[in-house]
Amino acid sequence: MPDVDVLVVGAGPAGAVAAREARRAAPELDVVLLERDPAVGSPVRCAEGVGDAGLREFANPDGADWAARRITRVIFQAPDDTEVLVAERGIGWVLDRTRFDAHLAAEAAREGAEVRVGAEATAMTRNGGADGRWHVQVKERDREETYRARIVIGADGVETMVGRWAGLDTRVPSRDMESCAQYVLEGIAFDPDAIYLQFGDAIAPGGYAWIFPKAVGVANVGLGLVALKTDGRNARQYLDAWIARRFPNGARTGFTVGGVIVHTTIKKTYAGGVMVAGDAAHMINPLSGGGIINAMKAGRLAACTAAAAIREGDTSERRLAAYHLAWMELLGEDHLKYYRIKQALEHMDDAFLNSLARTVNKIPQQKRSIGRIFTHALIKHPQLIPVAARFFV
Amino acid sequence: MRRVTPDTIAVVDLAVCDRCGLCLPLCPPEAIHLELNVLTVDEGTCTGCEKCIAPCPVGALAMTLLAPAAHA
Repeated sequence: MPDVDVLVVGAGPAGAVAAREARRAAPELDVVLLERDPAVGSPVRCAEGVGDAGLREFANPDGADWAARRITRVIFQAPDDTEVLVAERGIGWVLDRTRFDAHLAAEAAREGAEVRVGAEATAMTRNGGADGRWHVQVKERDREETYRARIVIGADGVETMVGRWAGLDTRVPSRDMESCAQYVLEGIAFDPDAIYLQFGDAIAPGGYAWIFPKAVGVANVGLGLVALKTDGRNARQYLDAWIARRFPNGARTGFTVGGVIVHTTIKKTYAGGVMVAGDAAHMINPLSGGGIINAMKAGRLAACTAAAAIREGDTSERRLAAYHLAWMELLGEDHLKYYRIKQALEHMDDAFLNSLARTVNKIPQQKRSIGRIFTHALIKHPQLIPVAARFFV
Repeated sequence: MRRVTPDTIAVVDLAVCDRCGLCLPLCPPEAIHLELNVLTVDEGTCTGCEKCIAPCPVGALAMTLLAPAAHA
């Protein structure tokens, strides 16, 4: 029965950063990072876009093989295809998640964490707390082992089981679940320095469709929608219709689906000896659906809390509550605000979005920042004022 | 948890399911499990609420009539 200090379940960005940072914070700790799939970083269930500043807190993208494309422009497309270009310097990156996740896991290993692939946690109990440790069943190819861990970090994604086993409520209402589908399309024409976001009830009700470039002529082309708002078709069928209109000749060389929780952080992200991080704890920006940077920030917080708690000999629920408070202060409170904006924006229909796009295009392009668009939109479209008001409540 | 529909439960078509796990947090009684790359719906726990059906990105979940024995 392997005895470990920190057992991290899931080697995505949250888990790999948690394992790396736990060893950096406390090199004496035994840290094991489990990955259910046979390879870290696969399958990719992600549009792979991240902001530059957030990324640089964890990894340097300059010249890295895991950074597929540098993005300097965002092009919003209204339902009627009116384009609004927003240019900012050093806006972001489209990653190659297969390589990026492997890079982070390799860094965790370099720091001394043990990375085990094809190893799935299948159950977890804290046997009356006699030894105060979690007993985690792990299936690894033909054998099954029980790990005894002082602290378990659940970074096991939208389908988190660690959260359930620890008694946390990780459920989400269907109105806050984006159903996503995405192809990798090759041989298509678009601006390879820009990401495209298109809104519209007939395109992606309750969400948006995207084009995220991976190379010249190659992009992740997908969409996310809220099932309650659809006409009965599923995400793949909406995407097929959009692509048939926009890129009828693109070659489909990849397909993936997944769920993005556009809600707010779960009420309680910790229990005695357990913390959950990233998608597992619903730490996603509910406006953008972005979660990679959030996941890494949460992984780092969980790791630092774990290292300090183990050194103090106190891994109780009370001690680990510090993790939740730190997360809420760092980003969780912002997500509550973003969620209120999301709720207000839900009432905007296609006609309004089309007219907003035309209004914004009257602002000179070099002055078109997100903040300026918002201000301008407020003046020209007073119906947005309640949105702004809710943001500051 | 109380049954929402008296005689139907969700079933997954594993030939269509992509194992993305989206349906797990949508299930109020937590009847859906993803283990060793297989998605299962626990017949005894599913309340027939249908919350998992429409959000599946590939349409792998559907409702079916409960077998009479399970129904009793």
